[in-house]
Amino acid sequence: MTTVNESLTVLIERNAEFDAEFVTEPYEVAWAREARWFVVLDEAPEAFDFRLDTEISPDGLDWCPLEGVSTHVADQRVTSWAVRDFGGWLRVRGAVTGTGQAKGSVFLVLKA
Amino acid sequence: MTDLATPTYATMRRAVSEAAPGVTKFNPLSRIIAHDDFNSGLHGWVQLSGNYDAAGNLDTMEPQMSDFRPPQISSCNFYDVGTHGAVSGTYAMKLATRPVKGHTATAIRRLTMPVRGKVQLEAYFTYKSEARALDPKNAPPKEWDGNYHPSEDLFGAFTLGSDMDDGTRYHVVARYMNTTMDNVPDRRWYAPTVVEPTGKERFDGKVNYSKLDDFTAPNPDDWKPFSEPQDLCYNEVPTKINWHYLRWQFDTETRTNVELQVNDITYDTTHVDVPLYTEKYRSLNGLLNFYFSVRTHADVRNFLYIDSALISIDW
Repeated sequence: MTTVNESLTVLIERNAEFDAEFVTEPYEVAWAREARWFVVLDEAPEAFDFRLDTEISPDGLDWCPLEGVSTHVADQRVTSWAVRDFGGWLRVRGAVTGTGQAKGSVFLVLKA
Repeated sequence: MTDLATPTYATMRRAVSEAAPGVTKFNPLSRIIAHDDFNSGLHGWVQLSGNYDAAGNLDTMEPQMSDFRPPQISSCNFYDVGTHGAVSGTYAMKLATRPVKGHTATAIRRLTMPVRGKVQLEAYFTYKSEARALDPKNAPPKEWDGNYHPSEDLFGAFTLGSDMDDGTRYHVVARYMNTTMDNVPDRRWYAPTVVEPTGKERFDGKVNYSKLDDFTAPNPDDWKPFSEPQDLCYNEVPTKINWHYLRWQFDTETRTNVELQVNDITYDTTHVDVPLYTEKYRSLNGLLNFYFSVRTHADVRNFLYIDSALISIDW
């Protein structure tokens, strides 16, 4: 019997309004080999700047930046970036500056 | 005494099924519909979500159904021991609330009824509040004394739920109320005396609940205990997980509870009423859903872990 690799898509934040500074809820990803984040906004940013940094953790409590991954700038309605070698936990740290409402969803797509 | 009669197909099938790896720790009804050990994905358990309008605008979703969080494939990983692991292999399904009093995480599995009759959900479960979550705003109910750890009473409640429709819609529900909303130990099993609020009621302007309201039955007075307090094995600190056996049975022929077993205690729940919806639904014919949910009663993340879950039917 052939098997296919596991995959899982989750909405880490859904239909959310993003504050000036935020972190997403801890998410366990030890089973996954690769991950891709998607930020899907209701509208493309015009008067605000939306930046997201990938963070990792050994235990879901203490966090540090994932090395080698530059800040993601969500400058269109839909943007994405990929990460690997993240250990067991993932989250993003976000910052919104400027005017206007940053509203939408953050997807995490995982593959074993 | 050994039965030397020639086994029938049915007895052979059951014997083989019960001896299957992973199934021997369960006590299923005659036909196993689903067996989920979470070492190969979430097996159809997904974040419960409310209804939305024709344009797909999620702003139209009932607030209390809008933020149930995605379930996680967890290695039960903690700050003091690393990977704890689960019952069967490394992984379990984890439901995690936000650290906000009243927040609920819910995962649902969606099936339909191949037959009417007895239905059973079995699982091994454990539950925790987040480690190192204490800060001045989460004053512990009692101080640590070397054995007792306050995190035990910062875990709110977990719920076994279902959603059925055979022309009449109804939910069978059982909730372990670890504490009251004020973090006072309760430890009893409860069932709601009312049906779950629906999106149609909100659409018609009859109700409007908030994001942190209890989606199963928002009014606390609509929950009635059906057991004496049952102490479980929290095991003192928030990073030691001990798994409990659970067997929950109801009957879709009679729309009644049957029993709830948690380790060595079995509750006869035939007397626990099952509220029925009076309005009729379209497109739910034969609906058979199961859910697990966890609700925090403090500004502390609460976790419910499941490994494994097994659904069987008397068929």
